[in-house]
Amino acid sequence: MPVLKDKELRIVGFLCNWCSYGGADTAGVARATQPTDLRIIRVPCTGRVDPLFVLKALFGGADGVLVSGCHPRDCHYSVGNYYARRRLEVIKRFLPILGIDDRRFEYTWVSASEGQRWQEVVTDFTARIHKLGQAPRLADASPMLKIAELALSSLHALGSNLSAPLDELKAAIKAKLPDLECVIGWQKGYDGAHAVPLFMKTPEDVDKLIWGPLNVMNPAVYLPDFKGRKIGIVVKGCDSRSVVELLQEKLINREDVTIFSLPCEGTLDMGRVNEKLGRYTKIDKVNFDEASVYITADGKEHRFCITEYAQGKCYGCVTPGAVLADVVFGKPVPVSPGKFTPPELAMLDSMSLEERMGFWKAQMDRCIRCYACRNACPMCVCRDYCISDSRNPHWLDQEATPENKLFFQTIHAVHLAGRCTGCGECQRACPVGIPILALRQHIARTVSELFDEYKSGMNQNAVPPLLTYATEEKNIHERDL
Amino acid sequence: MRIGVFICHCGSNIGGTVDCAKVAETASHYPDVAYVDDPMYTCAEPGQAAIEEAIKKERLDGVVVASCTPRMHEPTFRKTVERAGLNPYMFEMANIREHVSWIGKDKEANTNKAAELVLMAVEKLRHNRPLVPKSFDITKKVLIIGGGVAGIQAALDCAEGGVPVILVEREATIGGKMAKLDKTFPTVDCSACILGPKMVDVAQHPLITLYAYSEVEDISGYVGNFNVKIRKKTPYVDWSKCTGCGACTEKCPSKNTPDSFNELMGKTTAITIAFPQAIPKKAVINAPYCRKLQSGKCGVCAKICPTGAINYTMEDEIISEDVGSIIAATGYDLVDWSVYEEYGGGKYPDVITALAYERLLNASGPTGGHIKRPSDGKEPKNIVFIQCVGSRDRSIGRPYCSAFCCMYTAKQAVLTKDHLPDSQSHIFYMDIRAAGKLYDEFTRRAMEEYGTNYIRGRVSAVYPDGNGQYVVMGADTLLGEPIEIKADLVVLSVGIEASAGAPALAEKLRISYDSYGFFMESHVKLKPVETNTAGVFLAGCCQGPKDIPASVAQGSAAAAKVLDLFSHEKLQSNPQIANVDILRCVDCKKCIMCCPFGAIEEVSVRGVNKAQVIETVCQGCGICVATCPQGAIQLSHSTDNQILAEVNALCQS
Amino acid sequence: MKIAYYPGCSQEGSALDYGKSTGAVCAAFGFHLEEIPNWTCCGSTPAHALDTELSAALCARNLDLATREKADVVVTPCPSCLNNLRLASHRMENPSFRANVNALLDEPAAEKFPEATSIMQLLGRHLDTETIKARVKKTLNGIKLAAYYGCLMSRPANVMDFGDPENPTLMESLLAACGAEMVDFPLKTACCGAASGIPERKLTAYNSGRILELATTLGVDAIAVACPLCQMNLDLRQKQAAKAEDAFFDMPILYFTQLMGLAMDINPEYLGLEQLCVSPEMLLRKLGMGKGGAA
Repeated sequence: MPVLKDKELRIVGFLCNWCSYGGADTAGVARATQPTDLRIIRVPCTGRVDPLFVLKALFGGADGVLVSGCHPRDCHYSVGNYYARRRLEVIKRFLPILGIDDRRFEYTWVSASEGQRWQEVVTDFTARIHKLGQAPRLADASPMLKIAELALSSLHALGSNLSAPLDELKAAIKAKLPDLECVIGWQKGYDGAHAVPLFMKTPEDVDKLIWGPLNVMNPAVYLPDFKGRKIGIVVKGCDSRSVVELLQEKLINREDVTIFSLPCEGTLDMGRVNEKLGRYTKIDKVNFDEASVYITADGKEHRFCITEYAQGKCYGCVTPGAVLADVVFGKPVPVSPGKFTPPELAMLDSMSLEERMGFWKAQMDRCIRCYACRNACPMCVCRDYCISDSRNPHWLDQEATPENKLFFQTIHAVHLAGRCTGCGECQRACPVGIPILALRQHIARTVSELFDEYKSGMNQNAVPPLLTYATEEKNIHERDL
Repeated sequence: MRIGVFICHCGSNIGGTVDCAKVAETASHYPDVAYVDDPMYTCAEPGQAAIEEAIKKERLDGVVVASCTPRMHEPTFRKTVERAGLNPYMFEMANIREHVSWIGKDKEANTNKAAELVLMAVEKLRHNRPLVPKSFDITKKVLIIGGGVAGIQAALDCAEGGVPVILVEREATIGGKMAKLDKTFPTVDCSACILGPKMVDVAQHPLITLYAYSEVEDISGYVGNFNVKIRKKTPYVDWSKCTGCGACTEKCPSKNTPDSFNELMGKTTAITIAFPQAIPKKAVINAPYCRKLQSGKCGVCAKICPTGAINYTMEDEIISEDVGSIIAATGYDLVDWSVYEEYGGGKYPDVITALAYERLLNASGPTGGHIKRPSDGKEPKNIVFIQCVGSRDRSIGRPYCSAFCCMYTAKQAVLTKDHLPDSQSHIFYMDIRAAGKLYDEFTRRAMEEYGTNYIRGRVSAVYPDGNGQYVVMGADTLLGEPIEIKADLVVLSVGIEASAGAPALAEKLRISYDSYGFFMESHVKLKPVETNTAGVFLAGCCQGPKDIPASVAQGSAAAAKVLDLFSHEKLQSNPQIANVDILRCVDCKKCIMCCPFGAIEEVSVRGVNKAQVIETVCQGCGICVATCPQGAIQLSHSTDNQILAEVNALCQS
Repeated sequence: MKIAYYPGCSQEGSALDYGKSTGAVCAAFGFHLEEIPNWTCCGSTPAHALDTELSAALCARNLDLATREKADVVVTPCPSCLNNLRLASHRMENPSFRANVNALLDEPAAEKFPEATSIMQLLGRHLDTETIKARVKKTLNGIKLAAYYGCLMSRPANVMDFGDPENPTLMESLLAACGAEMVDFPLKTACCGAASGIPERKLTAYNSGRILELATTLGVDAIAVACPLCQMNLDLRQKQAAKAEDAFFDMPILYFTQLMGLAMDINPEYLGLEQLCVSPEMLLRKLGMGKGGAA
């Protein structure tokens, strides 16, 4: 339904039944006059408020969204608002990366007796939204395409890793193979310039294993399918974080998985490699030296220096060695500590809200909604039961609008909050090259800021911060409203 | 679907600022709406009858009432539609009174808003499904945690009502704080004389099983079917043999054991019976002070015991009990007053707590009921009472009133005068809170008949003057002057807080507690005995400071709730709970991690593990729903699709 | 560690002995005190109650001078100076307050000042019991002392950093290390009457009298103090107090630095003992120092 023209804006409230809904009733009983814009949806608890409801409303044209529940410690269900506080704070800090002004969303606490406070909350929030005016719509944004500048430095030396003791690793895998159903790794693909997954079941399979800058994909994506079965996996440092996160979430069992690893000096950004190779009919040969890969295609040799052609994530990588492994060979790659903002994220950081919305508009126009990003993600364990292509629950319809496409990306990013290890498989898998990793990187950065530098996939015993709570939050502070 | 929409005028409450007829007309164009009406009073009998008639006549299968808040009349209208043959959950309300007509004067905006709220309700209703509660059996047995006066009262009332009771008490005897008191206000009758018989009744009642010197270790299950693990702490005495003769306590050589029952006002032996009227009257060895247990050399009690009850190798025992309901009556403890350095922080022997003073007054106390100063055993002449030490003090994080100190201090002043006619009592108070039957009359008597010197003001410091007395420096705020009193004894009305371990017990019971550790009732005014966990009730000071009459009343109230619960043959579960679509569930256990009630378990379905909601435990908060990434767990009546329908009714640009 | 020394006005006058003994004791422990050049009043006049910005400007100026000298810490013997210096630093953290104060100064003060601390805290934090014991030549064994901090030293608690404001214990630990027996003195932070000595002489006499009486009852040989004003009220006005209490007092009032100096066998002349009104003769005899420089 449209709003009353020139009079009202669209403001949606999610109120917990026990406190704030009662507080709104108390305000009504006291005849506490309030602006008429707000429409209240009654929920049992703020813990019930999926942060995606907030986004759904904002994507659907809400100019403001307000969530209100019991004061901390007063939750009817003891802890619902503690969970809500973490989730809603994350979502509030997520909005700007999409180009949405975070002042359009607020959460607060109002008890059933605080009718007067409720009146103030509604009045202030409505005034705030009126000051901001009607929310800009994604559909109306002027599209803007922009490409991130490449990172120029990295936190550890990048190279082609010729010295990695691959033979020792192969021997170790062969020794363990009788106890394992299979071991996942990489092998030479359809041509020498591309690697594909390898499932080693026999010693002959093990001989096909390769190691080096072509091993781009993350084999951890296959692990949940093998849950409960004895399996081995060869990982790079980044892949090992996915394995750890899967262990953290009990999606695989530690005793079932044998982890093999060698140190990694970086992998190639195949998107840019393929771009430089251009159209070709045949790869003639592939050679390596310490710093580069030489690919000869149709008789022409191209040199790809790893420092120049590594994947975006490799420049900021602080885990060139596995975080958790049973069998490791080779010397650890030294890492110099430092702050690193991934190039895609740095680019979005430098934009205004309006530019960001235009950016996503342009990018989403290119999205073909193939879900390759989802299917490549090792943490997307819902697989066939993703809520974005289901009728019950029916979060998203199939119309190919930029809103629907961006909302899908939002679902993915929100579901990965506190879980994404930044492996970048989503972005690597994107056939049209949309820098969607930036959304996950932003949410990971937010989680790290809020929860004591938390990084997912580093410690198999850590609890992901959005699956727990603290009664006193160190970094989440009450806002005035 | 055929939906009927009723827009209530509520007299002029709604009709005054909302054009109800226009709302009804607008609603008639909403999807699936087959019937609209705008009655004057929907909740009145004719209004309800009209709904029933419309359901039958128009073959409605869902009803929306737009009127007051659902927190008021949702149960009423659910019954109405049920009478007409509909499932009670095929009903939605739009709150157009508290949220519309009462808070805005602009009729156009109100009418538009009301119409939108009705649309939201209609859209949600289109996704509603009939819900049917399930019924389950009850174990008609109650666990009462805490054997103070509240727990005792609850136990006796339940047992008299025919319900078997398991009473668990942490200390070696029941009686709680009341057993330590000398007299009680406002009648000044003997505490032991009125509590004693009740304690004996507990011991003798055939339906009460008493576990003294025991603690609740673990609680699982749900209303009607709790399982409780109780740790029986070892007393090193076989209670089945102990006759309570006390021979061991006379011969025990370890005579310097702190006497906690006497609030450290005296010493006792390592093997003790707390007091003569203890229930059960059994001996307990205080292990850290027992020479045999510490050094292996002694064994006097074992030699002297005529029944051979002493057993130095006895260990804790865990007992399992099934109960259908639980009453928490864990009482209170004194605030740690050592933070008050200005009162000596505990280093002056003659600055004592009121509870310790109570032991000095008590004939069965360490001084045989003679008031003697702990330092030199002399009778005090000047006694200063300081109120609100650890109550109403924001600076130490105790902003609340402890509720009964004003009254017991008046009582202690009266008793002091009775014991020592030459003495003078001075009471520094902030306000006198004597609200209660015969209470104000009593404080008046303390002032007028007993000559107690009431001084309105705080004490800034207490210090020994070096000559055996204490200087009490304070302010008389009524005279606006500093005041100094030389006291022989200073008695502090130390405030109370929830008893030690209350938060840990709350976690086991899965109930809420406030920042001071007091358990949270379900509703401050209207459900003061219930908690948010079905089947768990509260009695006494564990819920907040209260005096003996209030504790006894709440004990009885809790018992009434239990008897009410157990009057049903079977219990019905609330159908507004979560349930799992096992097809979508990938067994990631995130819902299990987040559920505050332990209501989700892992079950094997055809060899694959899946989450499953225990219907009777689920309280319907929906935290799991917001947690599950694949939307596999849904909260009935608040499903994703129902909330999305409401969102989409408003936001569909 | 570079220590900037802020003596404060009383060290130039009524509390010359405090200043002297402070210098002597610090030197004996190897602390080099560098007096802040051209220091001015700390603002501890009644003015600070009327205009916090003006009084803070005085402190800011002094602290700024110390900052320019590259001091790591600013120390002062006087609790009132300490109170003002620390409060000013604390308030200067507020940007608008800082701006107003800077407007009063010739040039803006430094962004960050060195921490201001008392002589007692300097000694207490950097010297452990063993270090002090090793330096003691004439133990105060057999001497019974009451430590009296006065009302200001430990308050406001969050600014002064002396632990529990009702029960500070730093002075006791310093003097106990020198061998003295320290009694538990419940009035250690009570008011001595402070500046009311002139307008409300009776009140000051009563307050000081109460302190002197308790100390006398507890049988101490002297009261150790750390505040020039307290010293004056208890020492100079001891007769007035005695009159008010209708009692007789003969209670030497020594700065804790003087007592430490005695224990370290520093020549009494360097400790300013001759300045005391109530003779410490008996105390000195107990210590086997025969004739001290009593007035």
